[in-house]
Amino acid sequence: MTFFNVIRWIVWKDLVIELRSRETMSSMVFFALIVIFIFSFSFSMDQQAAREVIAGIIWVAFAFTGIIGLGKSFSTELQNDCLEALQMVPESKGAIYLGKVVANFLFIFVVEILLFPMFVIFFNLDVVEEISILLLIFFLATVGLSAVGTLFSALTVQIRAREVMLPILLLPMVIPVMIAAVEATKGALNGDPLTMYSQWLELLAIFDVIFTVVSFWLFEFVMDN
Amino acid sequence: MIIHRVIRKVQRFQGWFGSGAALCLIAGLYIGLVDSPPDYYQGEVVRIMYVHVPLAHTSLFAYIVLSVGSMWYLWKRDPIVDNMCHAVAALGAIFTTLALATGMIWGKPTWNTWWTWDARLTSYSVMLLILISYLMLRTFIDDHEKEARYAAVLAILGLVDLPIIHFSVEWWRTLHQPQSFSMRGVSMSSEILIPLMCMSIGMSLLFSYMLMVRTQLLYLDRLLHAKKGRLLSQFHMSQSDS
Repeated sequence: MTFFNVIRWIVWKDLVIELRSRETMSSMVFFALIVIFIFSFSFSMDQQAAREVIAGIIWVAFAFTGIIGLGKSFSTELQNDCLEALQMVPESKGAIYLGKVVANFLFIFVVEILLFPMFVIFFNLDVVEEISILLLIFFLATVGLSAVGTLFSALTVQIRAREVMLPILLLPMVIPVMIAAVEATKGALNGDPLTMYSQWLELLAIFDVIFTVVSFWLFEFVMDN
Repeated sequence: MIIHRVIRKVQRFQGWFGSGAALCLIAGLYIGLVDSPPDYYQGEVVRIMYVHVPLAHTSLFAYIVLSVGSMWYLWKRDPIVDNMCHAVAALGAIFTTLALATGMIWGKPTWNTWWTWDARLTSYSVMLLILISYLMLRTFIDDHEKEARYAAVLAILGLVDLPIIHFSVEWWRTLHQPQSFSMRGVSMSSEILIPLMCMSIGMSLLFSYMLMVRTQLLYLDRLLHAKKGRLLSQFHMSQSDS
């Protein structure tokens, strides 16, 4: 199998598992819905207050849902020793990493697309003109989240207390993604001109590139048993 | 293993580091607390700088040692380097916490607040978070080799992340509000510089001394575990023979 075939097979495998079981995405969507409700209870919000904090709420919800999806990504491989099988793939481990990143990215991104209308409805947002730039922000931030998250998912799945350790390791690392995504989303929702927050998009893109490369290299050491 | 021999050789001078640290710290504390004049703006409060700044320098130095050591470990897989990384992370966490604590104590009278989400403070406390998660990660893995490998991966990722975190936090703060607090130009006269240098050198020596002791302790601990395992298996074998 060539490098790109491995990537394709891993993505295909994860998508098929997800299409047949529908476990990960349904739990992610439902969890995020609950997060939306909890947030709207904990800040009793009028229109004005909602505008201030909504970008933060969106990204906290997305990050927590993303963690659920990322955790499942490798814990499903524990059944029937699939992890060992993955480790034995006669191709660079980076191919497995990239395949998993693509699959995780697809799950999280689709869930975000499904959830965003809920935010629009529940918090009365006006997004029609900014929808393309918001999609770009979601895209860039999700790439960053899944690039680091996939590495940590593979790492934590092989240790004790994995459900606790994944968010503990992941969240400090993705602080730049969170800051940039929140600031850019806030700018887009306020209808600011793009030049006012384009530097956050650049930061997201830089983070994505750096962390995909570094995690690609480090993944070798995580899977090497 | 060359690094092994280097560490052993340096460890022979452990006592020098310890006594050097004691000398420098005592001298620095005496000059800083008693001999040097109070600051024009800040008064006596400024004296906490002689503890705070060296602590902060040393903890940054600790993170550099940690990431270099981690890269070295992934390259050469030398267990004693891993012991050193473990030791340096624990010490780094302690020094970072102390630097933050003294910073808060200093901040209360001068900035009139314990804490502010200033860029440097924020990225520095994120560094502490990463160090603590590093130490937590190590406790959750049983296998020594795996523990070392995963910890090194985390440390390297953190090394790459910290500049980006600092950068983004700086942007985040400066875009929103001008930095409310900045140190008014503290003139570095020799009266301040000498005790500060003394304390900085002393703190680095103290750190190195503690690092050597701790590395040795972890190294011996690992040897002991290996020996215990061997003895136990021998014991079980002799039991099953009879």
